Amino acid sequence: MKEKIKQLLEDVLPLVDLDSDFLFAELDSLGVTTIMMVLSNEFGIELEAVDATPRNLKNLDSIVAMVEAKLKQK
Amino acid sequence: MNSIEEYLRRDAELYPDKVAIICNDEQVTYRALWQRVERRATELAGRYRPGQVVVMRAAQSIDFLVSYFALHLIHAVALPLEQDIPQSAMDQVVERYSRFTAPDEVADILFTTGTTGRSKGVMVSHRTIVADGDNLVNALGVTRDLLFVICGPINHIGSLSKVYPVIMMGATLHILEGLKDLGAFFEALSNPHFARVATFLVPASIRILLQLASKQLAAMAPRMDFIETGAAPMPHSDMEALCRLLPSTRLYNTYASTETGIIATHDYSQPGDGYCREGCLGTAMCHSRFFITDEGHVACQGDTLMSGYADDEELTATVMRDDTVFTADNGRIDDKGRLWLMGRDDDVINVGGYKVAPTEVEDAALAFHGVEDCICICDPSPLLGNRLKLLVVKRPDVDFTTRELARHIATRLESYKVPQLYELVDTIRRTFNGKLDRKSYRK
Repeated sequence: MKEKIKQLLEDVLPLVDLDSDFLFAELDSLGVTTIMMVLSNEFGIELEAVDATPRNLKNLDSIVAMVEAKLKQK
Repeated sequence: MNSIEEYLRRDAELYPDKVAIICNDEQVTYRALWQRVERRATELAGRYRPGQVVVMRAAQSIDFLVSYFALHLIHAVALPLEQDIPQSAMDQVVERYSRFTAPDEVADILFTTGTTGRSKGVMVSHRTIVADGDNLVNALGVTRDLLFVICGPINHIGSLSKVYPVIMMGATLHILEGLKDLGAFFEALSNPHFARVATFLVPASIRILLQLASKQLAAMAPRMDFIETGAAPMPHSDMEALCRLLPSTRLYNTYASTETGIIATHDYSQPGDGYCREGCLGTAMCHSRFFITDEGHVACQGDTLMSGYADDEELTATVMRDDTVFTADNGRIDDKGRLWLMGRDDDVINVGGYKVAPTEVEDAALAFHGVEDCICICDPSPLLGNRLKLLVVKRPDVDFTTRELARHIATRLESYKVPQLYELVDTIRRTFNGKLDRKSYRK
């Protein structure tokens, strides 16, 4: 799951260091939207503004955790 | 009054305890803001002479605006650049204007990508700033009790120009660092001390809100006085969606550029033949006029025009003659005097309100050791808006990843100019005379 998400995001965010522990700080608004849209489409989950928090986008692990939590709710 | 700083001084006298600017956890009253500006002006007066160009990174902060106003007070010229501009690019700008003294009336030099596709320094006078501000006060109906939230980069005319009507009316400005923290955006709009709020959003930001936060946006309906947009075309479906979510909010689409200033606006929420009409930019504002040239291009006149390109009379003459700025926008004027836009004639790509010259991106990419040939094109995505895509012909003997190429480009250009998408191709199509065949790549 983690590798798959990393690969997906690397393709659309070439400038972002996905191994960073300060991922949210590296993103701009388009980057945040891109992550939410790509993950929604790929996993068929509903991601909204309330999910796009600095905590959920802190690093790749927190993104994976967000996706897994959403998948459980499905 | 002849400058925005004169309005600021008046505000400090008339409404000393009114909050002028909010940013992060900081807020300043008009009295405190004016005191800081005066102190900063005293400090800077020893370092800069009148007419000297002072290059600075435009931080989304109160302190940036303090320096900006202070430079004006000492008759120096503010040249704010993108906050994330690579140091080498910034050094080039510093060097370019190191021996240049701007004419007396000039307040700012704003960098823009214009019709010829190169970054250019546009000289903006104090008179222009006041005319832009007055245009917005009258056309948008900016009032003293308003909280105006801006989240775009403050070196760009879209957000910088909102500082002016706020100061001229003694209203309150809230500066945000982009729109990525949507929670912070809605928190700013929900400020309990204000009954009326407004914001400026480029169409790409409106798209983000419609996709990710339509419920929160709808909850703002009772307090949202108006939303202004501009800098890029807005799709009809987004206009309709916004009208449905915010039924009592005025929704403006504004025609402006760094060279022309703020020219016209249209409230597409009003019932009638202009309701949610794409491309309608409304009638001219009080300090502006426009007409259509024989070639079908929009030409603008009035107090909001630039003073010219800094240190480049030849370039200025290509777009500005007889107190008129001639744009590359194709337009028409209807029988009600409203301006309608119908695209541009040049190669500039509009990405989220930023104008990007593809040649600049290609030059940066070609300087990378593995790139034999390339072309930068626009990839329109229904979800994410326009994105830059680089088609690359690789040198056969060199291996590299697209991330390495992207990072190389980012060392030379601002991040919004770095393509998000990359595709390896065998050849780049050219016209019979060897020029890149850009038209054949347009979708």
